[in-house]
Amino acid sequence: MKKFFATAFARGLFWQFIGTLLGAGLITGIRAAMGLSVTDKFFFTEPAWVLGGFIGVLFFLGGNGAVTDWFKWARGINTPEVHEEKYSGWEKYFSVSLDHKVIGIQYTVVALALISIGGLFALIFRTELAASQLQFLTEDVQLFGQNGPQLYNTLMSLHGMIMIVSILLGVSGIINYVVPLLLGAQDMAFPRMNAFSFWIAVPAAVLLLMSLVLGGFDTGWTGYPPLSARAPVGMQMFFLGVFTAGWSSILGALNVIATVLRMRAKGMTAMRMPIFVWAAVATSLIALTATQLIGLSFQLVMFQRLFGMGFFDSAKGGNPVLFQHLFWFYSHPAVYVFVLPGLGVISELLPVFARKPLFGYRWIAMSSLGIALVGFVVWAHHMFTSGMNEYLRVPFMYSTLLVAIPTGVKFFSWVATLWKGKIETPTPMLFVLGGIVVFLMGGLSGPPNATVSTDLHLHDTYFIVGHFHDTIFGGFVFPFFAALYYWFPKATGRRMNETLGKIHFWMMTPSFFVLTLGMMRIGLLGMRRRIADYDPALGFDTTHLVLTIAGYLIGLSVMIFIYNFFNSIKNGEKAEGNVWNSRSPEWQVPSPMPMHNYDQPFEVVGEPYDYGLADSKYVEFSAPAKSAHK
Amino acid sequence: MSHTLDKLSAFRQGVVIFVYLAVLTVLEYFVAVTFNAVSILVVVAVIKVGLVMYYYMHVYKLNEESDADIHSYSYKTGTNRLGLWLFLLSDAFVFAGLLTVRINLLGLTRPHLNQTLGLAVTAVLLVSSFFMNRGETAMAHGDKKGFITNTIITFVLGLGFLLGVVAVEWPLAAEEGLTAGSGAAGAVFYMMTGMHAFHVFTGLLFLVVVLNNARKDIYSAEQHWGVEAAAVYWHFVDLVWIFFYPALYLIGKAL
Repeated sequence: MKKFFATAFARGLFWQFIGTLLGAGLITGIRAAMGLSVTDKFFFTEPAWVLGGFIGVLFFLGGNGAVTDWFKWARGINTPEVHEEKYSGWEKYFSVSLDHKVIGIQYTVVALALISIGGLFALIFRTELAASQLQFLTEDVQLFGQNGPQLYNTLMSLHGMIMIVSILLGVSGIINYVVPLLLGAQDMAFPRMNAFSFWIAVPAAVLLLMSLVLGGFDTGWTGYPPLSARAPVGMQMFFLGVFTAGWSSILGALNVIATVLRMRAKGMTAMRMPIFVWAAVATSLIALTATQLIGLSFQLVMFQRLFGMGFFDSAKGGNPVLFQHLFWFYSHPAVYVFVLPGLGVISELLPVFARKPLFGYRWIAMSSLGIALVGFVVWAHHMFTSGMNEYLRVPFMYSTLLVAIPTGVKFFSWVATLWKGKIETPTPMLFVLGGIVVFLMGGLSGPPNATVSTDLHLHDTYFIVGHFHDTIFGGFVFPFFAALYYWFPKATGRRMNETLGKIHFWMMTPSFFVLTLGMMRIGLLGMRRRIADYDPALGFDTTHLVLTIAGYLIGLSVMIFIYNFFNSIKNGEKAEGNVWNSRSPEWQVPSPMPMHNYDQPFEVVGEPYDYGLADSKYVEFSAPAKSAHK
Repeated sequence: MSHTLDKLSAFRQGVVIFVYLAVLTVLEYFVAVTFNAVSILVVVAVIKVGLVMYYYMHVYKLNEESDADIHSYSYKTGTNRLGLWLFLLSDAFVFAGLLTVRINLLGLTRPHLNQTLGLAVTAVLLVSSFFMNRGETAMAHGDKKGFITNTIITFVLGLGFLLGVVAVEWPLAAEEGLTAGSGAAGAVFYMMTGMHAFHVFTGLLFLVVVLNNARKDIYSAEQHWGVEAAAVYWHFVDLVWIFFYPALYLIGKAL
């Protein structure tokens, strides 16, 4: 326990606490001197909490050592290029490491923790929905300054944002671990910024959770004003948390693009890069640029609340619809940030388990970029009912439907890759196939929402909820699990338990179908989303009960996964060789990966996915004795 | 190519570009007060941005072939340069977002502001960019003293701009009733100038860091990535103002 409190993780949290108090105390002092009120419902006043939250993040990063090297550089002191690890055991993962593999695992574990928290929130409000009328989140409940239905709103809103952050971290985790290995690089282009991007996400998660106890908020994850301009102080913590998490995403994306452009192995031309790298670049282009707009939109609401600046206040000449434009300019492309790496994982793993070349490599590579670029011009399809100018509806409808073309290219390629393949179905492949089917359901339920005439009826119903969960499970969750089962032996030298993996898959997939198809059914029949209660006369009680049971089964299956994940680190079956018989460079060396990746550099000499072609090779390692760079 | 110029021609080029920028800024001002033609203002701003990006920020260096050895200073500088430009691209989206807010909320009107002061701070920032370019050029030719002198002038001018906006312009505007809470125009004005001022402030910190490191002799004609980064960032802040100045002071009818 003593060791734990000495880690960068614990020190960061400690300093965040101190920083929050100091920042809040500073504002409180200034307010006292100015004769303004110094306390409020949640002890400090709102400006005090905001500055406190902000200073807390800075103190976290200063206190845990994530920025120490940069301060040295600023004072003209050089630091060694590559750090040796200070710790070897579990402490390595709680310390500030510059190794992309450690950071990748840190990201992944935090993502799993947040998925558990977000999932727990979902199960709480799902339970409330199991029957009509309020059962346990009633008006008499008082917790964190909220009554039951308000707590329902907060949990529902936080479920959205915590899951989004966990997905962003999961994406970063896989990209961070895998991309340098696929490129043959020693590390990411900017190892310190890589560590910074991870560590800034931790105080961001703390801020998001703080919003729950500081009165919560009832806007949903979208935080639309004018409601968000009046919500309790928790709203501000939510804005600050998202803003902070955004920086993690932006800087991580910057690092990925620089790494791919500058750190590729010899002979790895653009069209010989592994397909997952293309997906990582496409997703990073969106995260690098569009993320700034959600940060800006939330910042503007923060300032509107703090200084009365009337950006979105129509009484002051502001425009609430403007917020929605700024917000969705990121938040729509954000779903492509979530799914593009997942679709990349599917394309990367399919040829390995179908033992066939990937069909249409170039088309897949370009379709990722195509989705990313088209994704920038579709945002207003979230706003068909918002009261924006009506002439905008039709162009945005067509641009949205256009997304189906590059996505269709991917499906065509996957089916063609599977066709006449010698398909093996270990757990990772099960999740890949599951991902394809679930994402297809998400894709097919999309056009009705994109088409103005039908969307006017579907907007704000459970149909949207079902559609959204289908796309994200198919595009992210299934491939994420596939990637974890697939690369787990690379990271640990052991395999995850195959039986538990199959139980995980066969428990999660049917439950998930029941959940989303049920959501779509009641959505079509008129079930509104984001409400704690519904009229018993609608006759949805049975369906809601079934949905709740399905939700619990999904939760149980994920718990089995998490048990399997942590148990297999120590007790899994040893797997040090090329477990999946892959052509990819990282599987040509023994697992777990050594500290500085490849001892000998490799050269790309062939196409990446020529499975089944005799005498073809993707990479060739240079002779052991040669060490070109020392 | 211009980056292989000898020191004297490099300085001369900096002067020529500065004269172009100054003439365009004056032209912009008179176009605005006489015709109020938005399209001309946009064209002038784009030309100015092109000049700054090419001659002051040396965007073409992104394309430069660097040493094949991945561990060499030159290869790493190439990677750092790419990283910096990606960051600027990302940052540009914040400013583009603010311009969108301004266009959406104010359209063809603008806040009522002191025109002379606006032109004055713009001129100060432009001149600071000129001296920044001289400083960087001096360092690229191994002239440490020239670097320090020019960078100190840049710093003083930059501080002048910052105070001109935050300590003079803001109180003046507030006196005339344009406060943060007074309405959309006030909100837009303080948000845009505030966000830009924050970037000027971080640019000033950056200048202090490189000045301090130059004093410790850690830069040379061949190895001065820190100086280049500070200069490019400083010019970027200037570049943002090239759009913000007409957006706040010149376009449309004063409210």
